[in-house]
Amino acid sequence: MQREQLEADVLIVGAGPAGLSCALHLANLIKKHNASGTKPELSAENIYVLEKGREIGAHQLSGAIMNPKALAELVPDFEKSAPLDTPVTDSAALVFTRKSSYRFPITPPPFNNAGNFVISLSKLVKWMGGLVEAAGVNVFKEFGGAELIYEGNGIAGVITEDKGVDKNGKPKDNYTPGYELRAKVTVLAEGPRGSLTKQLVNKQKLDNINPQTYGIGIKELWDVQPGKIKPGFVAHTLGWPLSTKMYGGGWIYGLSNNRVSIGLVIALEYADPRFDPHAAFQTWKTHPFLRNLLEGGKLARYGAKSLPYGGWYAMPRNYVDGGLIVGDSGGFLDSQRLKGVHLAIKSGMLAAETILEALKQGDTSAETLKIYKDKIDQSYIKKEMWKVRNFHQSFHNGLLDGLVLSGLQEITGGHGLIDPMYSQPGYEAYQKIHGRPAPERFKGDGKLTFDRLTDVYHSGTRHEEDQPCHLKVVDLNVCSTRCVEEYGNPCQYFCPAAVYEMAKEGAGLKLKINAANCVHCKTCDIADPYQIINWTVPEGGGGPNYEGM
Amino acid sequence: MKILVITEQRQGKWNNTSFETVVAAQQIAAATAGTISVAVVGKGVTSLAQELATKNVAEVLVIENDLLENYTPDGYCTALKQVIESAKPDLVLFPHTYQVRDFAPKLAAMLGKGMVGDCISFRKDGDKLVFVRQMFQGKTAADVTFVGATPWFASFQSGAFRADLLEAHPGGKAPVNAAKVELKPEDIRTKPLELFKEAKSAVDLTQAPLIVAIGRGIKAPENIAQAEAVAKALGGEIAASRPICDEGWLPMERQIGSSGQTVAPKLYLALGISGAIQHVVGMKGSRTIVAVNKDQNAPIFEIADYGIVADIFEIMPALTEELQKARG
Repeated sequence: MQREQLEADVLIVGAGPAGLSCALHLANLIKKHNASGTKPELSAENIYVLEKGREIGAHQLSGAIMNPKALAELVPDFEKSAPLDTPVTDSAALVFTRKSSYRFPITPPPFNNAGNFVISLSKLVKWMGGLVEAAGVNVFKEFGGAELIYEGNGIAGVITEDKGVDKNGKPKDNYTPGYELRAKVTVLAEGPRGSLTKQLVNKQKLDNINPQTYGIGIKELWDVQPGKIKPGFVAHTLGWPLSTKMYGGGWIYGLSNNRVSIGLVIALEYADPRFDPHAAFQTWKTHPFLRNLLEGGKLARYGAKSLPYGGWYAMPRNYVDGGLIVGDSGGFLDSQRLKGVHLAIKSGMLAAETILEALKQGDTSAETLKIYKDKIDQSYIKKEMWKVRNFHQSFHNGLLDGLVLSGLQEITGGHGLIDPMYSQPGYEAYQKIHGRPAPERFKGDGKLTFDRLTDVYHSGTRHEEDQPCHLKVVDLNVCSTRCVEEYGNPCQYFCPAAVYEMAKEGAGLKLKINAANCVHCKTCDIADPYQIINWTVPEGGGGPNYEGM
Repeated sequence: MKILVITEQRQGKWNNTSFETVVAAQQIAAATAGTISVAVVGKGVTSLAQELATKNVAEVLVIENDLLENYTPDGYCTALKQVIESAKPDLVLFPHTYQVRDFAPKLAAMLGKGMVGDCISFRKDGDKLVFVRQMFQGKTAADVTFVGATPWFASFQSGAFRADLLEAHPGGKAPVNAAKVELKPEDIRTKPLELFKEAKSAVDLTQAPLIVAIGRGIKAPENIAQAEAVAKALGGEIAASRPICDEGWLPMERQIGSSGQTVAPKLYLALGISGAIQHVVGMKGSRTIVAVNKDQNAPIFEIADYGIVADIFEIMPALTEELQKARG
């Protein structure tokens, strides 16, 4: 098919903290470069950013506590205008048992958040988007990157998704084929498990010594009764309702105006294929500590998102001919503290510095773009991630081993007993069901706890209804036969948006995909035991509305 | 520059974007010291041609043929190809209509030339003629120029030029000439049937006073007839929750809820609908809600004025019978 072509110097796929930092920093650097009179003259207008969401920030979800150091480098006077909500005033680490909770008398350093801010990532990113657009960068909202344009040993741009295609793949009246956007440098900033990043990593074998492993974070924002929580109070919880064999924990962050952000993060590498992360989160809310906090309050918003847990040894090679990978797509996350916003911003900035150098030299091959990797190694990104390079792997056999191993790492600069520690993809942890009957589904009481459909409603998710299903299952027969037998169709359980459903058909079961519910968390692409689900971008503008999340 | 404008008419009625395109041609001609021919295609279009002749153009071409009475892509392309080959224009302009979208790219391809579609303006850049077209849903505009040999093809978006700026002919009237085209019936591979307008959704649920809505509890499409019987006996409309329309068991326009219609009838009878919030937001304003569901914990009962915990397959026939009796 012939597509309309457009050429840019730099194309950034995804307007999150990493992509926008890259765009803003590059625009600033170009301004300085041009002012110095050095050739070639460059222009911020030749930077394009694609964002699949309805608007900038619509698909941003995080806890979130942000370490402000990277933002301070990007926007030195950020405190004047950034929507930071509130500084952390008190950080607690709590251990939950079924009936009670214990606070660590001295908050362990990884849980200490003095100097950090409780933020809404969606609000912060929206604000950054404003700065980026004001700098002259073109941000195309409601356009997703659907395909990569491969060239040589790398990439030369992307093709955006076709619009106006009906359920059966036929063009509708408003059919517009996707654009072919070519760029000297394409920056993949798609967030965790980027659909283009996944293809590139597989094709060019960019994987590190460990595969990337992921967690899922499920979050609700609540408006609570006045006096229930102080703004700036942040707590992390360990233990109940997760078993000691599972890796994860909860968060409770006090925001301004009696708003509280609560959530549960769980590593997608558990043994029971019918474990239901959403139900675990709802159960967690019934703990007396949370029950008391939320009593008389009201659910404001819901969302879910995966996050890359793997750490330093799971980061893919992040430069190819004509391409760089930044932010969560590149695994820039401190797997001990589960903090990634500042690393995403920093990675975007280092990418921008690399790109300026490459544009000046007129050479955007991997040979030149490799300085991105060097810059990362010399920056605090490596310093922070190197210290905890074996942290997540130590919990492979459960909480107790993990505490011992990671304790040893703490005093040996991250080395511990073995270095590097290897890991397996999370979906390999599933154990077969061997005919065990399916558990009953979580229903919720409608006040404190909710079923998934009610929660999805509060994510503000919408998609054009008449479009091809964006969740591509390679072989539906596997779902109705092998998976029923072996794993009991985990997709029905791990999806936090009730997208996957095994419906009765005749004597058997058939997979039904309610794609319009999808909150773009990518869990299915990650956690499917056969790795036959491919998450692709739906028509631009579709997806959740995470305003305020 | 020699400009040829292809106007559009159907059964003697103008598509008014045609005049906007003539305005575009007049402005391009003014900028390039060009001349304009305007073509009208069809059968029995002389009076339309006379109307065009009063405008500021050099010539009106009448392309008439029995086989052009109704639009067919083959007929138009074959005829216009001959006209373009003999008139040798540098630039061929079209209004960007649905019909033009259908045949103009094909015509350009037949002649091996380029086409720039859906332009919003033009400008003269040195000796280059630059066309401007929108991209990314209007977020940005691209400048496009032709590099190949003439004739060039371009179409202008509806509303891009103002038809009221159309200049009248200074000397009264432009000559009207017939353009000779040869068409054989076998050139035309499609047979136009009668024109029709797609029926608007036959039902406006928002205006229905009585609605019988079905959900997953209906189980299979063959069971819908039972619910339709209830609706008929009640004199109401049938509607559904999302899964039913997703399956294609009922058309999308009968879907109630956040991704469908929002209704507030006098009576809403929910059959086998669990009452997920996505559905409830579309009908909670109903004056009276009656819900039938097997599951006594179904959330629909929280908003129902009357609830029946029962199997809908027992209720539906019984209800139909009673309603018919009551109506006599």
